[in-house]
Amino acid sequence: MMTETWILILGLAAATFAVRLSGYLLGQRLPDHGPWARGLQALPGCLILSLVTYLLMRGGPQEWAAGTVALAVALATRSLPLTMAAGIAAIYLLRAYF
Amino acid sequence: MAIQNISARPPAFSQLTSGLRDILPLAAGVAVYGLAFGLLAAQASMDGLQTGVMGTIVFAGSSQIIAVERLAAGTGAGAAILAGLALNLRLLLITASLRDEYSGRPWWQVLLGVHLATDENWALMHAMRARGHQAGYWYLIGGGIGLIAVWVLSTVAGASFASTVPEPKALGMDFAFTAAFIAILRSLWNGSTMLLPWAGSVAIVLLAGLLTPMDPTWTLILGGLGGAVLAGVLNDD
Repeated sequence: MMTETWILILGLAAATFAVRLSGYLLGQRLPDHGPWARGLQALPGCLILSLVTYLLMRGGPQEWAAGTVALAVALATRSLPLTMAAGIAAIYLLRAYF
Repeated sequence: MAIQNISARPPAFSQLTSGLRDILPLAAGVAVYGLAFGLLAAQASMDGLQTGVMGTIVFAGSSQIIAVERLAAGTGAGAAILAGLALNLRLLLITASLRDEYSGRPWWQVLLGVHLATDENWALMHAMRARGHQAGYWYLIGGGIGLIAVWVLSTVAGASFASTVPEPKALGMDFAFTAAFIAILRSLWNGSTMLLPWAGSVAIVLLAGLLTPMDPTWTLILGGLGGAVLAGVLNDD
């Protein structure tokens, strides 16, 4: 068990670093204008939105309502801490009282 | 050339410190997950040293959780590494999209920069830049330093004091990152050219998630790539 754990730690570290470095090497080789560059520029937003969609899809009506509250606060304040606080408070209250 | 480079990016230190400061709310969310991961690590008979080393050299929370959960479930190290690796393929897209930040830097800054790239500081950097702030390589590093410190400390604390760790869901903290990413999306939105790519990403994730038994890891990658392809093909400014 002891050595198994160290194999996991070192193996996952090597694999993860290889993935991170490969992304860098791939990015350096893609053209810096045209469709590839536009796609790469749009990638952050699309990836984060995919993650949010997945997280909300996995949840239920309470998560959807709390997500709506967070979105409203984000639209009104554009503040990261306030949006996080509102979202956490909303889900906590919804789960406690509904 | 060297002198030019230095004068072209003077506020390296101030970007480092603002990256460190701005990451704090996200780091608070990471700390809760770090405690929860430490609890899992303790259940998989990992000690504080192993937990700390893992957090430092892997530094990818969700993949650590999956891999250790698999190990605790009795799969061998090989299968656990594969599960963690699959979850990390997303990081390939993240470091690829950071190419302008890494470009022209000495090798040690590239290696440090790719290792410290995570969803949180990467997304925050893009959000701040979309709002007109100066946020580049050192902003990313500042956020990464804050995150790795909090991650290692909280996971080791969780592994060491496993019996008193709270459950994230009971505190509503499992929603912390959903809310954070919603705020970051608000900052990244910069006009109607993004409507179709973003709608495409949502549609792909919904369809793949509802209609296919696809693993969420692949759903996310497909959604991100699909939206990016739409932006590449459709927008032409």
